[in-house]
Amino acid sequence: MDTNDFTPLSTWVEERLASLAPGDNWEPNSAAALARLKQLHGSRSWLSTRWPWTLTAAAAVCLALMMLPSPRVLAHRCLECSVAVWQSLAASVPTQADLKPESARALAPDFTLRDATGKELTLSSLKGKVVLLNFWATWCDGCQVEIPWFVEFEKRYEDHGLVVVGVSLDSDGWKSVRPWLEEKKVNYPIVIGDDNLAKQYGLEGMPLTVLIDREGKIADSHPGIVNRSGTEQKLGVLLAH
Amino acid sequence: MSIVNAPGEALAEMNAREAQFDIDALFRTHYRRVARMIARVVRDPARAEELAVEVFLKLWRKGSAQGDHVEGWLYRVALRAGLDELRRQSRRSRYERLLSFVRSTPSPSTPEQLHSAAEQQERVRSILNTLPQRQAEFLVLRSHGFSYDEIALTLNLNPSSIGTLLSRAQQSFREEFIERYGHE
Repeated sequence: MDTNDFTPLSTWVEERLASLAPGDNWEPNSAAALARLKQLHGSRSWLSTRWPWTLTAAAAVCLALMMLPSPRVLAHRCLECSVAVWQSLAASVPTQADLKPESARALAPDFTLRDATGKELTLSSLKGKVVLLNFWATWCDGCQVEIPWFVEFEKRYEDHGLVVVGVSLDSDGWKSVRPWLEEKKVNYPIVIGDDNLAKQYGLEGMPLTVLIDREGKIADSHPGIVNRSGTEQKLGVLLAH
Repeated sequence: MSIVNAPGEALAEMNAREAQFDIDALFRTHYRRVARMIARVVRDPARAEELAVEVFLKLWRKGSAQGDHVEGWLYRVALRAGLDELRRQSRRSRYERLLSFVRSTPSPSTPEQLHSAAEQQERVRSILNTLPQRQAEFLVLRSHGFSYDEIALTLNLNPSSIGTLLSRAQQSFREEFIERYGHE
């Protein structure tokens, strides 16, 4: 047994810990420390009054960036891209069953409207052809995504009897649509519709795409951005009849 | 313009906070004790003072949230700042040794007695470093002259449990010390 074991534990430990006590000749410099403390605290207050301004400035820059055309183009690209990805992921293969059965198809409400050249376009005169009727507007971003697809459909299936018709629902009509048409190369007729016509086709939101069979009856009506490959297959079914 | 205003605003903010609690009084009452407590744990007294100032700065920034337990909070945070620094220091010196750099311990060319005192300090610190944090906290507070009630207040513990916990910490300390350095 060592003699240490007879020393009370607490005394033994405290003797050793006492060696840590700072020497009596060492005194913390309170005055300098207080000055340092105030300096540090002051510098922090200065920052805290700065940051709301920084935040405001950052918000202003963001806003300005959003006003510029290039971010808008970027946003549009982004939308196109995500639609493409989403559609390829959720590619349900549509069949004939996705179209309304022939017996249940109602006659498409007829209309006569003028296109950009002033030529009259009557829906019923297109009987015998398959019509893709697309309700859209220049301000509708989703519509802009799918219009290039319709241009391609028109190009590819025109000879098989497809007619694409775009019905713009821009409230200021040709004032908005004509510049748009000049910019985009749309190879199918665009007419200006109204709320009354939209109501007849049950439009609740844009875009709305209606497929009309060769008998002039509504075979399919799709609100929102269409599924590109799905629509192409439905058109194939309708064109084969 | 606003840059010119800033010191004024800062001052106004300081005054507003001082209305809630008096940092100057707290500083005057506790700074010496806080700094000396950290200096027990940390090798370098200048570093100990830096840490003490940082603790008061923390207290000032969140002062209003402390309520009545300002003092308990103050010593608890100071203690942990000291022990954290001790861990950092020992990690650093371990790396330094690993990389076989010359260790920059203040090795004074002084009488044997002084040298052995420094050696003893190093031993005690390295034991504190290996003990569980809570036990190290007990030992430092006790050796800094805290009563059981003060320890309980600082560590948010029930005063009746302090005796048991403290003697357990002392037990661990002794076991660890003897295992490393033998009976001395």
